[in-house]
Amino acid sequence: MKNITISNFKEWFISHDLFGLLGSDKYKSLKRRIVILEVALSILPLLIVVTISYFWFQQILKDDYRNQLKWDIESTKQSIEAFLDERLSFLRFLTLSYTYEELSDYKKLSKVFYAFKREFPGIVDIGIIDDNGIQIAYAGPYKLTGVDYSNQNWFNEVAIRSSNISDVYMGYRKIPHFSIAVKKELPEKEGFWIIRATIDMETLKKYVYNLNIGEKDDNFIINKDGVLQTDTRFHGKALDKYIETPVPSNEQTVVKESSIKTHGHEICGYSLIKNTNWFLIAVIRSTPYARIPGIFRNELFFIIILSIILNTFITTLIAQAIVNKIKQTDMEREEAIASCEHAGKMASIGRLASGVAHEINNPLAIINEKAGLMKDILESSDDLQKNKYKFLSLLNGIFDSITRARTITHRLLGFSRRMDLSHDLFDLNEAIKEVVSFIEKEIQFRNINLILDLTPELPRIETDKGQLQQVILNIINNAIDAVEEDGRIEVITKIVDNNRIRILISDNGIGIPKDKIKHIFEPFYTTKEKGKGTGLGLSISYGIIQKLGGNIAVESEVGKGTTFMIDIPVKYEAV
Amino acid sequence: MNTNEIKLLVVDDEVAFANTLSQRLNMRNIKAVPVYDGEQALSKLKESIIDVVLLDLKMPGMHGLDVLKKIKSMYPDVQVIILTAHGTDKDEEEARLLGGFDFLKKPADIDNLEQKIRKAYKEKSNIERIKTEAEDNNK
Repeated sequence: MKNITISNFKEWFISHDLFGLLGSDKYKSLKRRIVILEVALSILPLLIVVTISYFWFQQILKDDYRNQLKWDIESTKQSIEAFLDERLSFLRFLTLSYTYEELSDYKKLSKVFYAFKREFPGIVDIGIIDDNGIQIAYAGPYKLTGVDYSNQNWFNEVAIRSSNISDVYMGYRKIPHFSIAVKKELPEKEGFWIIRATIDMETLKKYVYNLNIGEKDDNFIINKDGVLQTDTRFHGKALDKYIETPVPSNEQTVVKESSIKTHGHEICGYSLIKNTNWFLIAVIRSTPYARIPGIFRNELFFIIILSIILNTFITTLIAQAIVNKIKQTDMEREEAIASCEHAGKMASIGRLASGVAHEINNPLAIINEKAGLMKDILESSDDLQKNKYKFLSLLNGIFDSITRARTITHRLLGFSRRMDLSHDLFDLNEAIKEVVSFIEKEIQFRNINLILDLTPELPRIETDKGQLQQVILNIINNAIDAVEEDGRIEVITKIVDNNRIRILISDNGIGIPKDKIKHIFEPFYTTKEKGKGTGLGLSISYGIIQKLGGNIAVESEVGKGTTFMIDIPVKYEAV
Repeated sequence: MNTNEIKLLVVDDEVAFANTLSQRLNMRNIKAVPVYDGEQALSKLKESIIDVVLLDLKMPGMHGLDVLKKIKSMYPDVQVIILTAHGTDKDEEEARLLGGFDFLKKPADIDNLEQKIRKAYKEKSNIERIKTEAEDNNK
């Protein structure tokens, strides 16, 4: 069943030849061109709209993604700031709740440390430092009491600004951590003391990694000097120098796009974390916004393909209808032309037959009368001897007439032998003379002065004699119709070059107006009165000359006359 | 010899034809005179009494139909028989409209031709008789 369906479809497809691919005739090529043009014209605007929409949508998604990233960075930054603030606030609270002396007591400090560690995970140790930079009390896993911090940056920083969050450093345990410190003035401005806590960086990293990012992406913290504060996926370990992205200096949250040779397109967002030297950085290389248009792109692609298929199908049906109509019109036109060509040939044959009848009937009539006279004489007298010379003279007259009739029938055979193109090697001047002999009587009767100016040294030409003679006869006939009584018709032959011969047929007739001359080679166009011309003679002549590889042209001036110029190759070569 | 011998003018540019036909008709008691174009025919009509004209159509100079037109306008009683090698139905129709008596095609049968000539002569005689009677009545 399936096979039958497929084979039916095949037959249908071949018989309809929807895409004009199965043949090479002019209609198929026309149909193909209509379909291609129509489909291109209808699909092109669709493609333009779709492409614009696609890029517009992609831009919207990109902007949206950038805003989302900016928001994510800011919220993560705020979480980190809250984390740091909480711990700083607790240290401040301690400076307000306890005196320097109380916290300098190891036991008291240890108690506070454990409470602090319980509430705020990630605290490594806590210490009290006097205004000379000496750690006078310490609670934590190391023995750091008495350590002198006076030369350290953070100490100087906190002495000036009253609180400090340090950059990350490796410390004694060789793991990254940072310290926070708060300064407290002693009563009556007798100096100050500092409470300082060390925080494990791992705790802070959790906040950093809260940013929702993909596998190709990275986020981390760097300080203002461009030193990494956290481990990264692709940009090195903590305390390495961060080199790839230019070190940000702006305090606003910024999201920008950049192209880096080694990684391609990326989006980089960064924001300064308050009260620190730190920047939170997100480097996005997964371009997730590009994946969303992917779905959109598939849908668009589907719509375009569907449109092209539907469009092609409908256009093909329309083109088929148009081409069928053109084909039908062409066929009707060709049939009409063929029928009129036939009518034209018949008219031509009629004219020729009429001339031939005249030429043959006249000698026949003479034979008839001379033979009749001989019979009459024989019937009235038995004396043959007496009438011998009379009979001989009559018989000679009969033979003359027979010769005359024979010449005509032989010429006629030569003239109308072939309809298809043939190759005859002949003398053009003689062929023209033959044509003229057929219409000589008519020319005489109308007192037309026919001048033959034929170049004697014309080479013999090789072409279809009969058809060329038909053309010459047709043009001379037209000239006869165009001239008044006592008019003049001139037939000239010339050598154009080694390969071409020219025939000029001019008359001093009424001429052809300019608006009509451009139509005279068109089928059905006639200037003769109704019933006299088929309007095909010149179009058939034109066709014949083209077929023989020549050219036919006409020049005319109203009141002065018309000249037809026929150029014909010396040797006809089939195209 | 018939005293009422028919006087016939044979007009044809084929000299051999006009001469031979005239000879044959003469042998049939028709006084035939050959001329070879329209002008000669008109001058012959002018100088002698002619009953019937045997006229060709395609001739150099004046066309047979023009000659017919002239003869009928100048000598309406003279009967003209067209005898042509080239006669078309259109020519025949035109000749009859111009007052031609009959229309024959070459080569013609001599007996048929003679019969037509005699018929034409009879027609001419009838017309003349009617005319004479009418004139007598008027007197």
